[in-house]
Amino acid sequence: MSTKGTRIPDWLTVPFAGITPAPSQEKGQDLFPTGNWRSIRPVYRDKLPPCNNACGTNEKIQGYLDLVKRGKYLDAYALIKEDMPFPSVTGRVCYHPCEQACNRGQYDEAISIRAVERFLGDLGQSLQRDVVKAGPSNGKKVAVVGSGPAGHSAAYQLARLGYKVTILEKSPKAGGLNRGGIPDWVLPQDVLDREIERLVELGITIKTNTEVGKDVSWDDLKKNYDACVLAVGLTEPNSVRAEGENKAGVIYGLPFLRDIGMGTSKVKLGARVAVIGGGNTAIDCAREALRQGAVEVTMITVESNPQEMPCVPEDLHDMREEGVELLHGRAMTAVLGNGKVEALQLYPARFSGAINASPITINREAPAEKFAVDNVIIAVGQHASLAWLPAEFKNERGTIKIDRFGRLGDTNFFAAGDIVQLGSGQPLMVVNAVGDGKRVAFNLDKVLRGEALEPRKIAVDVIMDLNRMNMTYFPHFPRVKQKLLPAMSRRKTQEEVILGFTEEQATEEAYRCFSCGTCNACDNCYLVCPEPCIARPARSNGLYKILVDYCKGCRVCIEECPTGCLEGVPELDFDTGVVRMDTAFAISPGLHGRQAQELVNLSNRPAKQI
Amino acid sequence: MATATEAKKKTVRINGCVASAQAAKYADVDVITAYPIRPYTATMMALAQMVANGELDAEYIVADSEHSQLSIAHGASSSGARVFTGSSGVGVQFAYELYSPISGSRMPVQMMIADRTLDPPGDFGSEHTDALSTRDMGWLMGWSCDAQEAFDNHLMAYRIGEDPRVLLPQMVCQDGFFVSHITTDVELPDPGQVKEFLPPYKHPYPLDPRHPVSHGPQIMPEQGPPLQLERARAMEGSMAVIEEVHDEFAKIFGRRYDPWVEEYKTEGADIVFFMQGGHAVTARFAIQHLRDQGVKVGLVRLRTIRPYPADRVNEVLSKFKVVGVIETNMGLGSVSSGGSLYAEACAALYESKTRPLVMSFMAGMGGEAIVLKEFYWMTQKMTEAQKRGKIEKRTHWVGFEE
Repeated sequence: MSTKGTRIPDWLTVPFAGITPAPSQEKGQDLFPTGNWRSIRPVYRDKLPPCNNACGTNEKIQGYLDLVKRGKYLDAYALIKEDMPFPSVTGRVCYHPCEQACNRGQYDEAISIRAVERFLGDLGQSLQRDVVKAGPSNGKKVAVVGSGPAGHSAAYQLARLGYKVTILEKSPKAGGLNRGGIPDWVLPQDVLDREIERLVELGITIKTNTEVGKDVSWDDLKKNYDACVLAVGLTEPNSVRAEGENKAGVIYGLPFLRDIGMGTSKVKLGARVAVIGGGNTAIDCAREALRQGAVEVTMITVESNPQEMPCVPEDLHDMREEGVELLHGRAMTAVLGNGKVEALQLYPARFSGAINASPITINREAPAEKFAVDNVIIAVGQHASLAWLPAEFKNERGTIKIDRFGRLGDTNFFAAGDIVQLGSGQPLMVVNAVGDGKRVAFNLDKVLRGEALEPRKIAVDVIMDLNRMNMTYFPHFPRVKQKLLPAMSRRKTQEEVILGFTEEQATEEAYRCFSCGTCNACDNCYLVCPEPCIARPARSNGLYKILVDYCKGCRVCIEECPTGCLEGVPELDFDTGVVRMDTAFAISPGLHGRQAQELVNLSNRPAKQI
Repeated sequence: MATATEAKKKTVRINGCVASAQAAKYADVDVITAYPIRPYTATMMALAQMVANGELDAEYIVADSEHSQLSIAHGASSSGARVFTGSSGVGVQFAYELYSPISGSRMPVQMMIADRTLDPPGDFGSEHTDALSTRDMGWLMGWSCDAQEAFDNHLMAYRIGEDPRVLLPQMVCQDGFFVSHITTDVELPDPGQVKEFLPPYKHPYPLDPRHPVSHGPQIMPEQGPPLQLERARAMEGSMAVIEEVHDEFAKIFGRRYDPWVEEYKTEGADIVFFMQGGHAVTARFAIQHLRDQGVKVGLVRLRTIRPYPADRVNEVLSKFKVVGVIETNMGLGSVSSGGSLYAEACAALYESKTRPLVMSFMAGMGGEAIVLKEFYWMTQKMTEAQKRGKIEKRTHWVGFEE
C-alpha cells in the first residue's frame, strides 16, 4: 500500500479529512488564515464632519449628536464643553455656520444643531456642579482683559489648563457683548449669569469696574501676571457721519442694547423709530425698539434687498414677523429737526463694491426724501478704543497687531476676539470669538511651557462630503422645528422668543445626523462581513477591529459603511517592487516574513491608528 | 438470516436503468438530482414515477445542467442526505468540475452511469470513455455487466462509500444500451434485508447550524498535500472494506461476487480476454463456443477499476500466456495508442515473474456491439501471438484489420 507509513504532522491535521471546524469553534479558524489574499484592507478612519469644521470653535458636533441619540446627555454636554464654555448661550445666539455646512442640507434639511446645543446647554445650567474642573495648578497667573465671548473662552480654557486667571471687566457686570450686545429676549440674563458663575466655580477671579488704561495700566499687566489675554472687543459705535448726528433722540445701537442689558438705560423712545444698518445688531435694535415702546419701527439699509443684508436670515424673518418695516437702498445724510430729531434726510444709495463693507455711493442727484421719526438708532458697526495700548501693537485697521498665533510680538500678551478679527474677513460672531479665545489660550500655554507653536492644518479630503457616503441607509426626515412665541404677543415683552427643544425633540433631531465620515457604532460592518472577521467587544465607536488574518478584502464593509468611515487602503504597493506572489501565501510569521509580521502587529493596534 | 425473509423477495423483468432506479429506492435515498440525457434518463424517469406514486420519499431535484446537478448532490450530501444522481456521455463531462471537490470533501454521493459515447459520434452505447475519464478523481468506480449486477452494485457501493473508514463517492457504471436498455430478470430482495445490509446514512460532520463546521474551506497550500494523502489513504483503505461488504452481501442476499475480477473458464486457459462491462456477456458465449472447439481461452472481467486491484490483477493475469485487453474506451496517444485499460493491465503485470504477452483491442468503440465474429478474430490474433511468442503490435483496431 502506497500510503503505508505516511504520517501527517499534528499541525496540519484536521479533525476529519476534508472537513474543518467552523471559525466559531475554538481554534478552528486558526487553521485557515485567509487575510493574505487581500489586496485592499478596510481601515476605520474617522474624517472631519463638515459641521465640526465649519464651527468657529470646532465643537465636536457629530460626536455630541451621536451621544444625544444614545441618551447620553451628560457625556454629550461634557464633549461640547471641551470647546465651548457656554453652550446655553451659543445654543441661543449662534449664527450656526455648522448648519449651513451640514451635509444633510443637500439631502433634505440641515440638522437643527443649535437647538440641540441649547438643549445640552440648558441641561448643563441645571447641574448642581459642572462637569468641567479646573486643571491642577501650575502656579502661573494670567490676566484676561474683557469678559465677552473671547475673554470668557480664553479664561475658561486657561483655568482648565491650571492657570490662576483673573478677568478684568470695565463694566459693573461681567459678560461683555453677551450681556451688552444681545437682548434679553434672545439670551435671558439669568442664563448668562449662571455661565459667569461657572467661571467663578473654576476658581477664576472676576474684577468688574476695572478698566485697562484707567484702573490698570499696561505695565501693571506686565508686572503682575505671567501672561495676558486682551479680549476687549469693539466698544465704540461707528458714526454714519451724517449732518446733525449729535441731535437729541439720536441713539447708537450698541450702547442702546448695552444700557438695557446692564439695567442702566434711561432711553425713552418715541412712537416712530428708524434703525440705520442691516446687520444683526441693527435687527436686535429694531426688535428691542418695539419692546421699548416704539409703535412703528423702520429699518433703513443701504443693501437693496433682504438677501444682501449681513445677518442671520431667521432673525430677519422673525423681525419682520414682529412688524418691523424695511426700507432698502437708502443712506441717511442728515438728521433733521430743531435740536431734536424730527426727520431723516435720505438719498438713494448702494455699496460701491460687491460686499457691504465697501464704500457707499450716494446718489445726491435724486430728490432727497424726508422720513419723519421720533428717534433714530444708528447700528452700523463699532470700532476699538485702544488709547492704552503701546503704539507698536496697533495696526492700520485700528485693532491689535498680532502674529498668526494671536501673540503680540514676542511678549506674553495675546489678543483674541473682535479686537483682532475686525476687518480680517471672519464674521464678528460669538462663536468665532470663542474659538479665537480657545486657540489663544492653548497658544499662550505652549509659549509659557516653552513649546513651539504650530498652525492648525486640516487636509481638504479629511472633511467628509456627501459623495463618499452610502445614502441608501438614510431615509428622508423633516427637520424638527423650534417653537416660537406668537409674533404679536412677544413684540412687547422681554420673554425669550425661541423656545428650546424637549428631550424627545432633541433626540429625534440628533437621530437625523448622518455622522459624516465618522464611526457611529451602527454595527453595519459587523453585520455585513461575509467572513466573521470584524470584531468588537462592545457596540461602540472606535472599538471595531478588522481581524486582518481573515479579511479577504472583499470591500463589502467599505461599500456598506453608511458614514464613509471605512476606507479601502491598498495592501501592497506594486509600484515599489513588492512581489505579491512572494508574500501572498503567508501562513505563519517566519515563512513569509515581513507582511505576515506586519499583519500580526496591525491587529494589535487600536483601530484608529491603522 | 437470509432465509427468514426469503419470502418477500421477488423477481421482476426490468432493464438496467430501472434496476438502478429500484436500487435507489431500496437504498431509501433522501435526495435525487436529475438532468436528462440518454440513456441514463430512463433511471430518472423511473425514480420520478416512484416519488410521484409515493413509493419513495425523497427530494427529487431537476437541475439546470449536470454541473448544477452534481453541485446540488454535493450540497445535499454535506447536509447528511443519502444522495443519488447520474448521467451519461457528455453529461458526465459537463459536471467534471465537481468530481474532485465531492471526493475531496469526502461526500459519499452515488452516481449512476449508463455509458454513452462522447462526441463524436455521441451515440449512446457502451463506450466507457465518459466515466473512465474521471477515474482518477477519487471516486470508487466499477462496471456491471447486467441489470442484476447493477442493482447489487448500487447497494454495495452505498455501503462501501458511506463506511466511515472510506467516505468516498461512487460511480456505479453500466454500458449504455447493452445493459441499460436490455430487459432481464432481476431479483429484488426483501426490503428488510436491505435495511439490515444498508443502515441509514450518518455523516460524522454534516452541515448543521446547531453544530457549525466548514466543508471545503479555502486552505493554505501546506494543507493541500495532507488532504490528498487522506484521500489516497481512503481509496486504498477502501479495498478491505470492499471485500468485507461483498462477503456480507453474499451472506445476506445469497449472491457472491468477487469484488475485483470475475474469472470465466480460466482454468487451463492460455489466453484470456481482460475487459469490463456488458460485452463480457457476449464474451462468455464466444468463449463457450471456442472452448467447444478446443481453444484454451477464458475471460477475466474487471469489476472494480477504482480502487484498482493491481496485486490481484497481477496474480490472476500472470497465470496466462496471452492477455487481450478489450478497451471499449479511448486513450488516444496513450502507451498503446489505443485505450487506457492496456496501461492498467501492463502496470499491474510489471512485477510479474511470468509476465504474459499483453495486446490491446479497440472494440466496441462508438457504442457499437462487439459481435461473436470479432471475439473469434481477436482469439485468433492472440493464438498467433502465443505461437509466435511475441505480439505483432500493441493495439489492434477490430474490424479494420485483416
